Amino acid sequence: MLVATSDPALRCIDMESRAFDRRRWRQLPAALALLAPSAIVLGAFIVYPLVKAIFLGRQRCNSTGTRCVDAGWDQYSDTFRSTEFQHALLVTAEFALITVPLGLAFGIGLAVLAHKHLSGVGVFRAIFSSTVATSVAVASLMWLFLLQPSVGVLSNVGWIADAFPVVKQPGLLNDPGTALWSVGLSSVWANLGFTFIIITAGLQSIPDDLYEAAALDGATGTGRFWRITLPLLGPSLLFVLIVLTTRAFQAYGEIDLLTEGGPRPDDSTTTITYLTYGRNSIMATDQGLQATTAVLLFVVLLGLSFLQLWSIGRRVHYGD
Amino acid sequence: MKRAALPSLLMAASLFVAACGSGESAITAGQDDPDDVTTTEPPDQIATGDDTGDETGDETGSTTAPDDTETTDPGAAGGDGDAGGSDDEGATTAPDTAPTEIPLDGYPDCPTGALDDVDAADAPVQITYWHGMTAENEEALQAITEQYNASQDRVVVELQNQGGYLEVIDKYYQSGDNGRPDLVMFPEYGFQQAIDSDTVIPVEVCVRDAGFDTSPIQPSAVQAYSSAGVHWAMPFNVSNPILYFNKQMFEAAGLDPEQPPTTFDELRAMSQQLVDSGVASYGIALDTSIDSGGGWFLEQWFANAGELFVDNGNGRESLPTEVLFDQETGVEIVTFLRDLIDDGLAVNVGDNAGGSDNFLKMADTADPAAMTIGTSAGLGTVINVLGSGLVEGLTPNDVGVGGLPGLAPEQTAIVGGAANFVVAGKDPEITAATWDFVTYLITPEVQSQWAVQTGYLPIVDEAIDLEPLRTTYADDPRFRVAYTQLANSPDDLAHAGPQIGPHRQVRDQTAAALASIFNGGDIESTLTDAAATSDALLQQYIALNG
Repeated sequence: MLVATSDPALRCIDMESRAFDRRRWRQLPAALALLAPSAIVLGAFIVYPLVKAIFLGRQRCNSTGTRCVDAGWDQYSDTFRSTEFQHALLVTAEFALITVPLGLAFGIGLAVLAHKHLSGVGVFRAIFSSTVATSVAVASLMWLFLLQPSVGVLSNVGWIADAFPVVKQPGLLNDPGTALWSVGLSSVWANLGFTFIIITAGLQSIPDDLYEAAALDGATGTGRFWRITLPLLGPSLLFVLIVLTTRAFQAYGEIDLLTEGGPRPDDSTTTITYLTYGRNSIMATDQGLQATTAVLLFVVLLGLSFLQLWSIGRRVHYGD
Repeated sequence: MKRAALPSLLMAASLFVAACGSGESAITAGQDDPDDVTTTEPPDQIATGDDTGDETGDETGSTTAPDDTETTDPGAAGGDGDAGGSDDEGATTAPDTAPTEIPLDGYPDCPTGALDDVDAADAPVQITYWHGMTAENEEALQAITEQYNASQDRVVVELQNQGGYLEVIDKYYQSGDNGRPDLVMFPEYGFQQAIDSDTVIPVEVCVRDAGFDTSPIQPSAVQAYSSAGVHWAMPFNVSNPILYFNKQMFEAAGLDPEQPPTTFDELRAMSQQLVDSGVASYGIALDTSIDSGGGWFLEQWFANAGELFVDNGNGRESLPTEVLFDQETGVEIVTFLRDLIDDGLAVNVGDNAGGSDNFLKMADTADPAAMTIGTSAGLGTVINVLGSGLVEGLTPNDVGVGGLPGLAPEQTAIVGGAANFVVAGKDPEITAATWDFVTYLITPEVQSQWAVQTGYLPIVDEAIDLEPLRTTYADDPRFRVAYTQLANSPDDLAHAGPQIGPHRQVRDQTAAALASIFNGGDIESTLTDAAATSDALLQQYIALNG
């Protein structure tokens, strides 16, 4: 709204805007009525639980939640600074650093491979995207059968067991150095179908004449990839990047099924989500602390998404 | 460029995080500062004096706020008389429930006669039962429930499998008053939590109301689910850890497959012989799972040694304030295990996340172990799996079973497994129907059938003389090992097992400590640290529930 001013012309505008304001106020009931359905739904299922969780995060409760002690806002700062949370945050960051770049790279690679006009390429597309239809539980169990140190597939391939003794003893999922990588790779694999589909869709929206023109100008295959494919994939890649990062921060199923947050004593795969919900977490029966970490994770993710959009989103080319 | 931005951001975040760590555990979050007195109850409040006075005398100075639930919760009261005040002593006699009737005022009623008013022709009473049984054990429970439903026409039980004990616990406490089932199965590590939830009727109330005779039930099973003299839950599926071993390997190594090791010393000697003779790469596969080697077995070894795991009579007299696993016995047990591993006689399979890594180590074709320790409840599954031919070269008859070797010459055990809790706040006929089903589950006929199909042990002696268990025990003595082990256990507080509010979290501490020690950590300091964190968990629990 404009401020009052001595300039007659502007004053005229000002009056108009006041009249507009009045009209707007008169429309308020209608606006509220129209907003009500989504406001009620959002309020009941998003805002109210969020506010409730934020206040629960100040408390320490017994298991039924009937007796609570209010510990104040510093429960948030104390939890954030606690060894468990700091460790989980680092593990989560490492997990994201493993899964996001690898997921993007494999997704782009497979999508470019399958983006050829060859007969039978549809079969490969179906195979590459098949992990989308695989639930986390099934995928994790499959990896468990691969990685199990005594009877698993990998440990019983002679040369692998010889070249990498860790596969056999203590096992990739039981070694503090390899556990996070192993869980990360299973996660990359499970997310590959999704990444592949989004990037394939992005590739198909790039007009062929750009490539033809570039070829006429003498651009090589790699040149075309770096100068045409990648920049025009920008919006798809940004979307995939944010989704993969969020998924990395929210990964739970594969950790619960493959390592249960272990191996101990380093809790090498205890991410923030596992710290919050995991059965072996130190706060497994403390709903107050669980709420605290959940809200902290929310804040961390909010900041991260904002940073991603701000730093990378500006440079993405959305077309004209 | 695009992909470089994220790592750098994450690195920056990590640096930021690393810079502001407090080095303290989250358990104490929001508590250490004196200025957070914006509280409805003082955060450092320990139980009010009326129930735990002599035990927590040094802390009761801070108890000022009167606590409403305290007065209506006689659960922790009354035990002091029998307590004997022996915190660290070990084998003390258990509180005796028989001669002195403990008053049960203040607990919800259990109108067991209400079922008589139900007209079966009208409509049967529907009750729901949450359990955590899976695989063979779930099928056996389903069969038993169907038998019950068919055997009478007044009650229909609906089984709801929650997927596991932990899922049962989680879902139960996250449900409101109306969402809870009528009957719920909790494992021994959920016992204290169930008492403190004020949502269950002690079965002792039902027992007295119905004039039910509990004397046929194994006393140790009753005692395991009794607190301060009040019997809270009806044991149903009782198990304990047993030794599984490969009979072929025992024979090949020149050992008697009918004479498995009974003590730690024998375990070590036989492991040595198995490894030296070259038939096995390791004598025994150990693990650090909280449900087995890292937690549950440790408690069993303490009981076997006649030692308490936590103070206040193993938590049976009042809420424990201190764990005792870092003392002499703990060091002795852990040193034995660590030496086994260091000397190449045992292999640590780690966290054992799926609960099968230790068994699979026995099926390892390249580096097998000859023995492992597992719950007796797994025996049915182990035999089934081997019977299906999944493991090459091992048939069901190649698996031998022995009692749990420990420090004492006699093999004894704590009651493991789970018990049934009658949920409070239901209509009288529902509570009565629930009680009827609870008593059905412990009839000798049902227990006989249940033990055969699962490997759980019968909690009523009469079941042993009934078919099908009589034949099974005669034909396959392996199923009898867990029963004998429990029947041999003395009736003391050590063998009642620790009763801990944050039981699973404490087990998590011991499991992490064992994992650290097995990987080269110092035994005494690691146990001391784990004990300190456990004590903080106990204090936190007392502050919220005491």
